[in-house]
Amino acid sequence: MMDTTFNSDHNWLPLVMLIIPVVWAAGLLMPIPGLQTKRGAWMYSAVTSTISLGFAGYLAFLFPWGEPDTVAFHRNDLDWIAGFGLHFTYGIDSISLWLVLLTAFLMPGVVVASLIEVEHDMRQFHFWLHILEAALIGTFIARDIVLFYVCFEFTLIPLYFLIGVFGHEQRWKAARTYFLYAFTGSMLTFAGVLYVGWYGSQDPAQVSGAIGQWTFNIDELYAIGQAMPLADQCWVMAAMLAGFGVKTPLFPFHTWLPLAHTEAPTAGSVDLAGLVLKIGPYGLLRLAIPMLPAAAVVFAPWVAAAAVVGIVYAALICRVQKDAKKLIAYSSVSHMGFCILGLFAFDPGAIGATGAVVYMIAHGLATGGLFLCIGMLYDRFHTRELSRLSGLGRIMPLWSCFFVLFAMASVGLPGLNGFVGEFLTLIGGFQSTVFHWGLAVVAATGVIFAAVYLLHIVRQLVFGPTNIPADHPGYSDAHEHGISPEHKHDLSFREIITLGPLAAACLIIGLAPFPMIRSIEPAVRNLNAPAMTLIEAQDQAADTEAAPAPTTDPLPAPPALEPQPGSVVIEPVPAPLVLGGER
Amino acid sequence: MHVAAIIPWVPLLAAALCTACCASRTLRTLAAPICITGIGTAFVMTLVAIAKLAGAEGDHYTAYLAPWIEVGGAWVDGQYVGGMIANFSYHVDSLTAIMMLAITGVGSLVSIYAAGYMKGDEGYARFFAGVALFIFAMLNLVMADNFVLLFLGWEGVGLASYLLIGHYYRKPSAAAAAQKAFIVNRVGDFGFLLGVFCVYQAFGSIRFEEVLPAARALLTGEAAGLAPGAAAAYAVAQATQAANPAYLLAAPFGLMLGAFGKSAQLPLFVWLPDAMEGPSPVSALIHAATMVTAGVYLIARTIHLFELSPYALPTVAMVGALTAVVGALIAASAFDLKKVFAYSTVSQLGYMFLGVSALSTYGAIFHLVTHAFFKAVLFLTAGSVMHALAGQLDMRKMSGLAKKMPITCVLMLCGCLALAGAPLTSGFFSKDLILADAMSFGISAPTAGAKVVYILASLAGLAAALLTAYYAFRAWFRVFLGDYRVEFGEDDHGHEESHEEHHDPAHPREPHEAPWLMNAPLIVLALGAIFAGILLKATGVIEGAILHSTANSVEAPIAAHHGATEAAAGTGHEEGHAHRHHTPEYLHLLMYGVSAAIAVAGIGLAWLLHYRQRAIADKLRDAAPAFGAALNRKLYFDVLYEKAVVGPLRLVGQIMFLIDSLIVDGAVRLVARGPAFLGRGMQPGQSGKLHAYGLGMAAGIAAAVFLVFFAMSR
Amino acid sequence: MPETAISTLTLAHFLGIGAALFALGVIGFVTRRNLIVMFLCTEMMFQGVVVTLVAFARFHMNTTGQTFVIFVLTIAAAEAALALALVVLLFRRQRTLDASAWTELRG
Repeated sequence: MMDTTFNSDHNWLPLVMLIIPVVWAAGLLMPIPGLQTKRGAWMYSAVTSTISLGFAGYLAFLFPWGEPDTVAFHRNDLDWIAGFGLHFTYGIDSISLWLVLLTAFLMPGVVVASLIEVEHDMRQFHFWLHILEAALIGTFIARDIVLFYVCFEFTLIPLYFLIGVFGHEQRWKAARTYFLYAFTGSMLTFAGVLYVGWYGSQDPAQVSGAIGQWTFNIDELYAIGQAMPLADQCWVMAAMLAGFGVKTPLFPFHTWLPLAHTEAPTAGSVDLAGLVLKIGPYGLLRLAIPMLPAAAVVFAPWVAAAAVVGIVYAALICRVQKDAKKLIAYSSVSHMGFCILGLFAFDPGAIGATGAVVYMIAHGLATGGLFLCIGMLYDRFHTRELSRLSGLGRIMPLWSCFFVLFAMASVGLPGLNGFVGEFLTLIGGFQSTVFHWGLAVVAATGVIFAAVYLLHIVRQLVFGPTNIPADHPGYSDAHEHGISPEHKHDLSFREIITLGPLAAACLIIGLAPFPMIRSIEPAVRNLNAPAMTLIEAQDQAADTEAAPAPTTDPLPAPPALEPQPGSVVIEPVPAPLVLGGER
Repeated sequence: MHVAAIIPWVPLLAAALCTACCASRTLRTLAAPICITGIGTAFVMTLVAIAKLAGAEGDHYTAYLAPWIEVGGAWVDGQYVGGMIANFSYHVDSLTAIMMLAITGVGSLVSIYAAGYMKGDEGYARFFAGVALFIFAMLNLVMADNFVLLFLGWEGVGLASYLLIGHYYRKPSAAAAAQKAFIVNRVGDFGFLLGVFCVYQAFGSIRFEEVLPAARALLTGEAAGLAPGAAAAYAVAQATQAANPAYLLAAPFGLMLGAFGKSAQLPLFVWLPDAMEGPSPVSALIHAATMVTAGVYLIARTIHLFELSPYALPTVAMVGALTAVVGALIAASAFDLKKVFAYSTVSQLGYMFLGVSALSTYGAIFHLVTHAFFKAVLFLTAGSVMHALAGQLDMRKMSGLAKKMPITCVLMLCGCLALAGAPLTSGFFSKDLILADAMSFGISAPTAGAKVVYILASLAGLAAALLTAYYAFRAWFRVFLGDYRVEFGEDDHGHEESHEEHHDPAHPREPHEAPWLMNAPLIVLALGAIFAGILLKATGVIEGAILHSTANSVEAPIAAHHGATEAAAGTGHEEGHAHRHHTPEYLHLLMYGVSAAIAVAGIGLAWLLHYRQRAIADKLRDAAPAFGAALNRKLYFDVLYEKAVVGPLRLVGQIMFLIDSLIVDGAVRLVARGPAFLGRGMQPGQSGKLHAYGLGMAAGIAAAVFLVFFAMSR
Repeated sequence: MPETAISTLTLAHFLGIGAALFALGVIGFVTRRNLIVMFLCTEMMFQGVVVTLVAFARFHMNTTGQTFVIFVLTIAAAEAALALALVVLLFRRQRTLDASAWTELRG
């Protein structure tokens, strides 16, 4: 249980991490002469995002690894709109930490990769990238549900402009579709969140305060949500799934994704697939499952079934794609299915949910790498059609090396990052207490299909006789060229430092995932605990019930997650200003 | 830390260095020495690790290197207990030892050969990086102390095989073959994963030293003396057996599918012949000697799990025997020299599976080792022929090479003799052991069904032995004897530089003997192909090794004909004795006689058809064209898969893509149409005229006032 | 006495004046086309409301209503400055004060 609060003098650090990207973004708007040029803005952004990464590293360094289920760097004394129970509450447990690290880690690479592709408004481009980073970090560190929601929604705006301004032919359509789709879903989520808050405000026993007192502290909402009757929980769960399911994306709410990815610039795709998609499962894990355990148990088989359908369905679609980027976009749909399957497995050891979090990180790295690789091809040949490119192994050996590595990571080859999450989610699904193991078996066919479509793209691009478009405009930066004249299309130094860290991370996570698993497992178990207790109680009830009288209420009250000590500070609401006095 | 823990990582280091060597042309030549040194070091370290085995308590020791995946359990006193523990920790017992020796030994020899063979190839460093990576993965596979690390090796060898089959990546056929190998293997891996899930569900553990003793205890019913971990697994397994025996019954079937994929058994054998697109050393090392035997190793290692499921082993027997026959049939009709040996590998692996299925893990592993020797010789000599003939592999386009390549001729003869099972060669002993054990297992089987299966299987094995002798010598007679006649190949296998001198039109091209760098390792292997069998048999090394490892099946026929060895095995294995049946000595002698006769008959037939009267062979072939065509096309398995699986799936993909864009996305667009429709309905209200707005406002206020007035007056 | 003279006027009188002013304003706003006249009509509606507020303030004997009146007048003054400036701008664009010349917000 989250009972130990990490006492740290550094609990300002998450706040700084949230604010600093905004500061960097604001810096881009300053009339500094150097930033006017394309290269100047690019350089500025590369340096600043690396500094942000440094802060993230410092955060990881200070994190209490010994007790990873603590909410470290916790702070709840910053008022936001105290009258409505809104506080600027934040804190970091191991799940948040890894996602923050992933965010900060991907950003410099994305920035560095964007030099060629972005042809105009380099400043605006990087402005939105920084804003996006801030919004993502805010989402991951928030412990106040409205703060979470605001940041969650705010990711839409930078991506809307990244896609709309800097995308390809149908960019505005894609941006609009993405925005409206995601926004519609998350409005429902917000309604659900508000309902839980309202429910809590009606029941003074749940919150330390009077009737009408609202709280949006996530830890307190856990208790409120768990006390709701099953029907209410199910409605709220449906609302949550609407928002988070669209973001994930969960079949059948995925159709915005291929369009958004194909039209987005490389940086947008990497951020979208690598980071923004992770908010969906993160939201489900952080909010829906611990807050609505009874509903989660009821919904689990259906959600898992949708995830499994998504795995197979998207994988089959991948195989027939002609556009490399669209193929990888659909592969994200398939891969995130594993994530959801693991989250809703509720297996006894919480292996599935642990695997799901590991998978989020792994997928961010591998798919991010694949998108970067495809972006580099587009920089050179201005096409992503599989039929127009082949045999790149000969002219771009280094690129091919990276591409095969990321593809294999995505296939789930043991020793690379994709495997760990995939294996754990599958074994979790197999052991699930809430749905049939057959679902995991069907999901496991995904390992075959993943190999089919990813090897297909590798074969098309890397293998075979060399064929590149004859009319390709060439590499727009003349002074950059590959490692040797014979491989003039191969990666430049700039691109090597973009892909290198990603590849290294894939290998390291693949071969040494234990720090990640060790730290994530307790935190995930905490979040799973209410649902697990519920399931155990149900099982026991089923056992004892076998003989006589069926009880009318099979749902015993789940144990509440203990709220954060000291987090229950709720400002007394000042008396409303009443105009006019008594006569 | 045990030296064993770092053995696999030495080749990985070599692989990394070789990859670095890709960077420049001058560094490339260093790749071969690095690779050979890496694998050689692993070989030497293996010897050290085996020496330590003698002093180890019990029959094995565990060399722990580093944590990898520990999940689902809990920390107790700084130890992670319960749950799924898959660490980089290596289980070294005598079975592992044999496999390690075979892998690093054959690996060293093949990489020495390859140093000559691959000279001048543009992917020289890349090739050796792949080989070293393969050795790393293969060592992990055989040394793993848990299923997941084994799976790392399992997939790792698949990756190495993928990269090496696709070595000549510009050839579309090589690219297709590489992809096919990986995907067909993935089908097997799917089964493997399910098998592991079942094991974890049934035993609550995936560590061999917990699962396998527990399974053994489940078989014998004696749980005394189990280590704490194994005892816990035993308790879980007992509960599973009582409540949910399906997991125990299903587990071996999953693992079996994995084994069939990796070891190219029916129906997943289609990738192996295509895999011959890779360079010949790769065919020798990966697709003959080591990787493809991983399936046999897996079943031998987990034989207790298979024993727990009554239908598992007969299934393996049927598949193995059928594959042995089908592989031999196709091999007997193929004209591509490497394809002949590839199908031969498929067929020989069928024997090994027949062996394990008859609980003769001794026979299977024995055959695995001898096969590694003679098949490596065959592939490498085939490589030498190919090397000499600029990539020519069609047996119809070469003849009488003995005069030009005498050493290669003799070396391949050694391999062919062993493959054919000529008396006293290594293949003779190991193959007969399997057949005799299978026959005796069938005779003494408790149920009529099992009797039929095993007796038929061993008869099929005998039939395949005849075919084996025939096709082995068919190849040899055709290539080396007869009139000298050669058509050079296209040389599309990347030997441009090494053959440049031959392109001088003034001098006609002549096939030449391979350099000593290539022949020296071949001689070692050829000696092994001839003498390894009798040596290993006489010393009882493998038999003892099996007896001391987890591959020692509870009802094994093993050691029954070597009473002395069994006594030496000590008391630890007495409990299983009651169940054991004995393969009677006369059966072995009978089998020796029968198969010697069969081998001679096969060789004689080949001599007749492919040396004396080659015309008869062609006539025979023309007599049944449909059969020949079917054999040439893998009995239409490829077509079947293309038509029944790949094509339909692609079609389904297309349909789903249509559904996705029309129906799923269409539904979304339909919903989005709603607000737009509503807006269009309201549109006339927005006339843009200020007066209209004013009027609307006034009307609205009036309505509100009336409403309030009405409400208040009630 | 002046007090009684005023006191004969009841609250209803003041409210009637306010309502009349407001109604006149509305009618003027809807019927006239000249932008300036329309603007003056809105001012008239304001005054109607203001009269009502003052009357209620007096009736309830508290100052809230009068406070509001001051507030409204201030805003109205600012608004008048802004609105007249806008009208001038509109006139410059089309050389007419006819409100029907501006229908660009048609849906």
